[in-house]
Amino acid sequence: MSDIEKIVLAEDNSTLSLLLKFRLEKEGYKLLTAEDGKKAIEQIEEHKPDLILTDIMMPFISGLEVISHVRNKLDMQIPIIVFSSAGQEEIVLKAFNLGANDFMSKPFSPNELVIRIKRLLQ
Amino acid sequence: MNEFEYLIDNFKQLPVLIKIVWILSGILGVIIINLVIYLKYLRGYLRNKEKIFAKFQSEYEGELINYLYASEEEDATKLKIVKKMKTCIKDKFKRKIFLTVLSKLKNDISGEMADSIQHLYVESGLIDYSLAKLKSSKWDVKAVGIKELALFEITNVYSEISKYKDYPKQEVRNEVQLYFVNLFQFKGLDFLNDLITPISEWNQIQLLEILQKFDDQQITDISPWLKSENKSVVMFALKLAKIYNQFQVINILLELLAHENKDIRVEAIKVLSYFQANEAKQILKNNFINSSIDEQIAFFNMLEGIVETSDEDFILENVSHENFEIKTLALKLLKFINTDRFNSLSLVASDVESKAIFNYLEDN
Repeated sequence: MSDIEKIVLAEDNSTLSLLLKFRLEKEGYKLLTAEDGKKAIEQIEEHKPDLILTDIMMPFISGLEVISHVRNKLDMQIPIIVFSSAGQEEIVLKAFNLGANDFMSKPFSPNELVIRIKRLLQ
Repeated sequence: MNEFEYLIDNFKQLPVLIKIVWILSGILGVIIINLVIYLKYLRGYLRNKEKIFAKFQSEYEGELINYLYASEEEDATKLKIVKKMKTCIKDKFKRKIFLTVLSKLKNDISGEMADSIQHLYVESGLIDYSLAKLKSSKWDVKAVGIKELALFEITNVYSEISKYKDYPKQEVRNEVQLYFVNLFQFKGLDFLNDLITPISEWNQIQLLEILQKFDDQQITDISPWLKSENKSVVMFALKLAKIYNQFQVINILLELLAHENKDIRVEAIKVLSYFQANEAKQILKNNFINSSIDEQIAFFNMLEGIVETSDEDFILENVSHENFEIKTLALKLLKFINTDRFNSLSLVASDVESKAIFNYLEDN
């Protein structure tokens, strides 16, 4: 049984995914990336992560649907951080209503994200 | 061979119309076969291009991450990456990919890393290609160049960009305006001082949205823009006056009530209404008959917030106004300031329209 905490990152921006993977793995987390919501759900079901990072707008299945699936279908209570862009304030509210724990508005600082992840995983 | 001759002989014996149909079918058949071959080739070509794009994108993403995470002691690594990128971007296709990679990350990341991306954009020489785009004769290339310079926050080309603020093509002007405001915040609005060309409605909304995201909400003096000869500048300044509660410009707003442009007069009434500026009431009452319907409606909407019993005579003059909206608003105001008078008028109302308005207002 490994002690490394697992994080699923659902993000369609491959460059951002790579940057966060590099940064979070440096912090000692195991990062599982998914380029769309469908793959994210597969990763979550297979690996049972300790935290989820998800963008709102993604192909096939949106971030909101990912949150809903995790909270309602999988009944998992792990922390979820949502990435939003300018003009998506109402969607962020919906994300909180569905069970998201925190959100970060793009553009965001990876250092700040690390702090928030650490706080949520304490 | 005999069979072929037999077919030819048969074809020659066919009626002319059938012959034409056969020939056309043949031609169409050849065209379809050629199209199928071409589409197959095109699909292969695009897939191949996509693969090459993905390969380079993945390579450049890796290089970018290495660059961003290289510590200060690893200057040699950074220099090596910059050198490699300088060579790569000489090729147009690779330059496009590298720019895509940088842009994608610059849009989503802030802080020190965003500064590093900006630094790499300059160091690799991509900035020179963006600047070269400004010299292009094609407007779309120019607009893209300005957009890139804005995205990577290149502030020292302000004067160069300023040359295009009155460019004939609106798309270029839009990018120029976004460049100013994104990079210089409220100070960037100085371009309004002598702008000749119009600002599109969509861009006005975009500029306001950008301004609202800044921490420093200290707006500069908007008075000169309210006095501008450019109608769109005045309209934009009116929006600023309302959003940023510029009470100190009320006197200029009152002057705008006599502006030659009707849209500006209507908007001025709306802003004065928002400020509940009582000073405007008498001016608007005096001009009421000569005002357009839109101004009259805007004034009655304004009265909803500042109506007094002393306005009763004016309101009574308009309870039979030919415009349905004004008539309704007048009766609504009358009900508010003098219910008895409203009820007495309600009793004598004879036409269907008036009865409907009275019924509606009595219930609401």
